[in-house]
Amino acid sequence: MGGNYAHPYLANSKMDIDEMLEYLGISSIEELYSDIPDEIRFKGQLKLPHYQSEFELMEAVKSKLSKNITTREVRSFLGGGVLDIYMPAIQDEILRRTEFYSAYTPYQAEASQGTLQSMFEYQSLICELVSMDVANCSLYDWATGVGEAALMASRITKRTKFVYSAAIAPNREAVLQNYVTGANLELEIVPYDETTGKMDIAKAKVLLDDTVAGIYIENPNFFGIIEDELDEIIEDAHVKGVRVVVGADMNSLALLKPPGEYGADIAIGEGQSIGGGPLNFGGPLLGILAMKYNKKESRQMPGRIVGKTITPNEGEVAYVNTLQTREQHIKRERATSNICTNEALVALSCAIHLTLLGPQGYKESAETMYLSAHHVVKELEKIGVKRVFNSEFFNSFILDLKIPKDKKQEFTQFMLERKIFPGIPHSFDGENYDYIVTTSYLLCEKDLDDFVKAIGEWRK
Amino acid sequence: MYRQAKYDEPLIFELGKKGRRAHLPPRCDFSRDDINIPENMKRITPPDLPELHEGEVMRHYVHLSQMNYCVDTNTYPLGSCTMKYNPKVNETIARSEKMMYLHPNQPVETVQGILEILYELQVSLGELAGLPHTTLQPPAGASGEYTGLALIKAYHYDNSETQRDEIIAPDSSHGTNPASTVLNGQKLIEIKSNEDGRVDMDALKAAVSDRTAGLMLTNPNTLGIFEKDIIEMSNTVRDAGGLLYYDGANFNAIVGKIRPGDMGYDVLHFNLHKTFATPHGGGGPGSAAVCCNDILEPYLPVPTVNHDKDKDYYYFDYDRPKSIGKVHGYYGNIAVALRAYAYIAALGEIGLKNTSDQAVLTANYVMRKMEKIDGLRLSHTSSIPRKHESVLEATPFLRNHDVSGMDIAKMLISRGLHAPTVYFPLIAHEALMMEPTENENKDRLDQYVQILEEEMDKARKDPDYAHHAPKWTSIGRVDDAYAIRNLTLSWKMMKEKQEKQEKQEE
Repeated sequence: MGGNYAHPYLANSKMDIDEMLEYLGISSIEELYSDIPDEIRFKGQLKLPHYQSEFELMEAVKSKLSKNITTREVRSFLGGGVLDIYMPAIQDEILRRTEFYSAYTPYQAEASQGTLQSMFEYQSLICELVSMDVANCSLYDWATGVGEAALMASRITKRTKFVYSAAIAPNREAVLQNYVTGANLELEIVPYDETTGKMDIAKAKVLLDDTVAGIYIENPNFFGIIEDELDEIIEDAHVKGVRVVVGADMNSLALLKPPGEYGADIAIGEGQSIGGGPLNFGGPLLGILAMKYNKKESRQMPGRIVGKTITPNEGEVAYVNTLQTREQHIKRERATSNICTNEALVALSCAIHLTLLGPQGYKESAETMYLSAHHVVKELEKIGVKRVFNSEFFNSFILDLKIPKDKKQEFTQFMLERKIFPGIPHSFDGENYDYIVTTSYLLCEKDLDDFVKAIGEWRK
Repeated sequence: MYRQAKYDEPLIFELGKKGRRAHLPPRCDFSRDDINIPENMKRITPPDLPELHEGEVMRHYVHLSQMNYCVDTNTYPLGSCTMKYNPKVNETIARSEKMMYLHPNQPVETVQGILEILYELQVSLGELAGLPHTTLQPPAGASGEYTGLALIKAYHYDNSETQRDEIIAPDSSHGTNPASTVLNGQKLIEIKSNEDGRVDMDALKAAVSDRTAGLMLTNPNTLGIFEKDIIEMSNTVRDAGGLLYYDGANFNAIVGKIRPGDMGYDVLHFNLHKTFATPHGGGGPGSAAVCCNDILEPYLPVPTVNHDKDKDYYYFDYDRPKSIGKVHGYYGNIAVALRAYAYIAALGEIGLKNTSDQAVLTANYVMRKMEKIDGLRLSHTSSIPRKHESVLEATPFLRNHDVSGMDIAKMLISRGLHAPTVYFPLIAHEALMMEPTENENKDRLDQYVQILEEEMDKARKDPDYAHHAPKWTSIGRVDDAYAIRNLTLSWKMMKEKQEKQEKQEE
């Protein structure tokens, strides 16, 4: 890269290299690879691009990315667990502090109190939202959270069946199915009631017995419906020793009773939508996992957990990674999970966001989401467009559009021309598509009305 | 000289006061009277979130950040963790509006730009691995391991060899290897390393059988030693009907030097943080890529990112009946993958090869210097070069001066240097695992070794000095056992403990 000059990402010049080689008593770096058998050495030329200057790199990436159309250019009614949010300027100002983002997992606590205290605060903030006692430092996303929760319920109860409500997002269901194959858990599905869209409580009760480790319920569920008749099934689960796992929309908890207050043992959810970060095309996200504290059962949690401690010499408050004997770097094949790297920076981001919102901002954001969705539904009803299920909802609902498979692409285009992402298509019969519509707090009344108008035009 | 900032920083919950606020959410057009939540589902008690004004939030996090050591502070030679510099341009690129505001369920025609980047990254990684097919879905290295192992399992099931449930891995492997194996429902057969720190061939031969699903090999291994018998190992496993998994956690040592696919490996995972300099974030997010050959391709997670060359159109392929399913809710940690893409593009073919050269050179240089310090010795053998990292043992120092590897680590921290990884791998004693990376120049390495010598000198004269290190950090040595005995894991638990204590005092 210019004679004796190195690439900016490399620390040593030719002169440095020569000095080190001389110290090692060798004539080239190649000699350090001399123990690799010659027959497996790669001797061809890698088909990789030539190096670029920073300017060239920026321009090249910008040019490719310019082909995308964003949720800030098109009005987005997409949800499903992640949501377009606004990140205050101060939030990224903090996240760009290299002290946070270029640090490793805080193995040396004395030099890492910043990360550790902020993770303790993250855990605490999550516990406040879901009304639980202990949260871990994060999992990858909500979907892997469902898988980890199922495995945890199985370890706690030593049972091998896991039951879940059919009103679950298909991507989370797919990850759940994958995660439990290793442990050979048997999965059973509780159907939803076809008129209310809520979990069928009677059928759930039939499925629960003393072989079931846990039951997973989303609330609001994938159709956006508030599950408001859970008392009976949760009581039944507890009688039968079944752990109750609730997957909550974290924004909804500003208005809805938190899972810890209606009997959930484990709460999970997605932290992106409460400030974890931008959508980023679906990752990185933030898997939330929290539970009621129980001396024995909490030791079955996956992932890192930060605890409060002291320094023995000075008697000062300090924070450390604790309960580490659950983890893979110590317990290897007997660890509670294989997770090592988690989503710490996204958790920090989420903690900053919740702090910025405070109780008032958290509530106001959720109210705007709720009211925007309800405005859309009211206006749509005026032009004769209904929801599939007529139950109470938060900021998401499934719109009865029944668009035939062969018209779906046309509908997408039609909406795109009107600068609208209309929602997530969902088919009940495999032939026709309804749309799961979700409102953030980013769209104003006119945007919402444009959506209603566009749906009206389509139906003409 | 080094002095880390020290604040008696209260928890964020202790800083607030009712009525302060730090941010105004977007304005709402509608009357709040129209909110109608079913009575039994209404939240009565709001969450106890802090109430601060914006400036106070900033101060809190500035204080916390100043109590954090990071790779831009100084040398951070954590072996096995690869703490290299995170190029700042990648942070800028990752914050492009055209990246941040993409919903994973958008129509595919509106995300052609990012799909093109992901596709090109897949191709580049496949080229480095010598394996033609790649998924970027695993959100971290351990998830990559799990995915790779799941492909192997699916292959054997598909070939009606369901009895093949054993994964063979050396005892020098990362803890995630056995944990991922178990998560995948396979059994781990751990084989011993020989006195040279390599896989014991006799032990391997004894371990293979018709139950062997595959070999999972980290190479170079966690001692930084290249498994030179790799061809014989591969043949042994292959002959027994097993598949070959190359754990690419240490790929940063061998970029452009060898290609596992060329030597018959079926599957490999990359940790994008370790080889391609994505930030570690104080614990995450990570991202992995899993590359495989044609026989494992049908089992890759759904969806794959494909390219229709005729139409020059990128798309997701969900029509994969043999797929293992999904390992992440969407397509993986895309913003991390974008950073890795930018890193590869900035360095190009020559630059990437140079990163391995310099990583290996600095590792050997610092190792040979440290080896000469009285009280330290190289683990296993001294006769062969290491690759990107090395493991020194402080056993003689502990024996002669009652000062442990951990004490040495803490003394280094007193001087503003990050310690090597301590007590890993488990097959070494009093291990200090050094991985300087290509980000450290010779001057920095000389300085590191000099300071290490100075501190060990002090410890020889006064072992208690070592036992009480570190000094000049925001806090002194912590009591790990106290945290477990008095488990306090949240503000809620803290409040409850305080209330209980106050009641007892009354």
